[in-house]
Amino acid sequence: MKTFLKILLASSLAISASAKEIKLLNVSYDPTRELYTEYNAAFAKYWKAKTGDDVTISQSHGGSGKQAQSVIAGLEADVVTLALSYDIDAISQQAKLLPADWQKRLPNNSTPYTSTIVFFVRKGNPRGIKDWDDLVKPGLKVVVPNPKTSGGARWAYLAAYAYALETYGHDDAKAKDFITKLYKNVPILDSGARGSTITFAQRGIGDVLLAWENEAHLALKEFGDDKFEIVTPSLSILAEPPVTVVDKNAKRHGTTEAATAYLNYLYSDEGQEIAAKNFYRPRNEAIAAKYAASFTQLKLVTVDREFGGWTKAQAAHFADGGTFDQIYQPQ
Amino acid sequence: MKLNQLLIVTFVGAQFAVAAFADDATNNSTEAAEIAALKQEIQKLDQKVSDLEGRSQVAQPATASSDAAQIQDLDQKVRILSREREIDQDAAATTAKTQPKITLGASGFGFSSADSNFVATIHGLIQVDSRTFSQDDHVQGNDSILLRRARPIITGTVFRDFDFNFTPEFGNGTPGAATTPSIYDAYLNYRYSPWFQVEAGKFKPPVGLEYLQSDTYTSFNERSLVTDLIPGRDLGFELHGDISGGVVSYAAGIFNGVGDGQKNTTSIGFQNNRGFDGRLFVQPFKATGIAALQNFGFGAGGSWDSSSITNTLGLPNTTGGSQPGFYTDGQQQFFAYSSGVVAARTHKRLSPQAYYYYGPLSLLGEYAISGQQVSKGAASVDLQNTAWEISGGWVLTGEDATFNGVTPRHNFDPRNGGWGALQVVARYAELNVDKAAFPVFADPTLSASGAQAWSLGLNWYLNKNIRVNASYSHTAFTGGAAANIIATSAPGSVSSHPEDVFFTRVQLSF
Repeated sequence: MKTFLKILLASSLAISASAKEIKLLNVSYDPTRELYTEYNAAFAKYWKAKTGDDVTISQSHGGSGKQAQSVIAGLEADVVTLALSYDIDAISQQAKLLPADWQKRLPNNSTPYTSTIVFFVRKGNPRGIKDWDDLVKPGLKVVVPNPKTSGGARWAYLAAYAYALETYGHDDAKAKDFITKLYKNVPILDSGARGSTITFAQRGIGDVLLAWENEAHLALKEFGDDKFEIVTPSLSILAEPPVTVVDKNAKRHGTTEAATAYLNYLYSDEGQEIAAKNFYRPRNEAIAAKYAASFTQLKLVTVDREFGGWTKAQAAHFADGGTFDQIYQPQ
Repeated sequence: MKLNQLLIVTFVGAQFAVAAFADDATNNSTEAAEIAALKQEIQKLDQKVSDLEGRSQVAQPATASSDAAQIQDLDQKVRILSREREIDQDAAATTAKTQPKITLGASGFGFSSADSNFVATIHGLIQVDSRTFSQDDHVQGNDSILLRRARPIITGTVFRDFDFNFTPEFGNGTPGAATTPSIYDAYLNYRYSPWFQVEAGKFKPPVGLEYLQSDTYTSFNERSLVTDLIPGRDLGFELHGDISGGVVSYAAGIFNGVGDGQKNTTSIGFQNNRGFDGRLFVQPFKATGIAALQNFGFGAGGSWDSSSITNTLGLPNTTGGSQPGFYTDGQQQFFAYSSGVVAARTHKRLSPQAYYYYGPLSLLGEYAISGQQVSKGAASVDLQNTAWEISGGWVLTGEDATFNGVTPRHNFDPRNGGWGALQVVARYAELNVDKAAFPVFADPTLSASGAQAWSLGLNWYLNKNIRVNASYSHTAFTGGAAANIIATSAPGSVSSHPEDVFFTRVQLSF
């Protein structure tokens, strides 16, 4: 008996001694706070059950472009979950922290969920906003973040531009004129999506907020559907926020295995359910069907089809001297 | 408008009444015609009034709605301005986190990165001393005003955990001798944690308590006789740390090795062998709530090194041999080994030490024993030289005394009644040379076998940066040159009479 107890004690000590404490840093874009709060708890529970190790995930949120620059400048992210692939490409090219072909490592071009851009308006839609055309009417105020810093803002800009291209027969000059008028109605640019939500919903500025779909739904829940409502335009853009391990950081921290599993779990049933509950369009078709009522069907165009991909879109519209710099004048 | 109607009707009525009263005899048909005309006028006026009333009712809603639109527009503008300000403040706060900081104050001039991982600070120490010896007509050139210390001190941190110090010395004047600039401190310290740090370069070895006290904070102009037996600044590597917030402090290092009371002035070693220095110091009540004992500490430092017998590259500062001499408070040599004496084999030191600070009271004491084998030709001997001191102070103005000086509560500002802090200090010290040194290894007719010094002083701290000292020191000697012997150089010229010296100092440190 004594021997058995000694063995049991030794085993317990061995097991507890071998259980590791793992810390991960997820650098994400602005509106994913609620998603990852729920997801991180679920993953920690899953990982503990699978490996016996305790994993703690810290989050950093901000405009996608700014977050990418922070990682390039030395923020020790183990994983990045940003708004667009271009920002992760910048980390790969400028800081050499991950390989250039990072997007092939996970399914669906490393995008476990998608989203789009919708209109978030005041209850009753007092300005009668139905589509993109309404946003260029004189006197209307549009709230949207700064595309120089925010991934969501870039998606919103491209959605508007895509609408104009579709409407005006892909006449670039007319599309530029359209986008110029739209941004003439933008009184203020926050650095990220969450800031714009605060501007519109809490500070009471503007007539319409161009928001991530998930952000709009979350804002409805938080502020009440008696104060705001969502208007779905006729056309919007398929936003595909990608995720990846930051290889060199994870290797240095010894967290590669846990970081990889963390992102893989986003594609699991539980991960997809959490995404859908937080109003991200899941890739899993069965779960997407289960939550279909949460997502309005609309025509979605892609960056690749309308703009030739992110590299071209970034260069043409958001780089220094690009279209945005040409058309936007602060009020 | 109703009032206007009333007035018109009253006017017309009055007219009617006047007309009625004016001419009773008017023809009835004329009256009837006039009444009819007046009625028509009234109707026209009534119609006009109605029209006017109708127009004003239409105008009221139009004005109200444009006012509301204006107000809403203004409200939006105000909200936008307020939000822009919020965003600008957030951006400024974010930018401030990455901006380097510049500071200038009593602790020097410094700049650091926003995250404080990179810091550089420029400090300085200037000490202008005067020494006035009395009853020493036999000694020439020792009264002096001198630049005792003149140091720019550059300290800093790189990559958060690596501290550095670079201190050249342009002072350290010796009467009659030219000052040669030298490097006093030049070291790098890696701070893994407070309890594990590694230092490399040139710095003070961890042995003597009074010697480890910064030159800025010593109670007197010169350290006591004990420091004659303590190794000075040397080149080496040291592991050190503070445990439990300084309850226990330890240091252990490997150094080139220096002679008693000497420092390495050449920045290179002078022998093949290395020395080991170490110190353990305990402040057992530091973390307790017993205020009276929190600044009580005790410990011991020691060293061991080995000199080669054929050492000829020592650190000479004497009339002969490789061993240095011993100096009084007035920095006059009262003991020297004879010519041809060399350090041989091991040199061991032990220095038990303690201090106590409580409120304005300060007490410091230490004992040092230096065991050195010396040889001269075929003769050799193991010598045990000893020294001890006890010093104390009291801050008359009530401020706390600490190992790191006194900070006045009220800076010197006579226009506003501020006079700084005043401290009285006293010290007694002795040094005894092993009698076995005489006569083979030291000349008893020149070198004293012992010195006993007492000192009294007043320190005036004008503020954190400026201090003025005045003190008097009397040193008597055992043995040494006879009083009637007129020696022209130390140690004979010094040991023949007691030394009485009056010091002053003006010090700037930042």
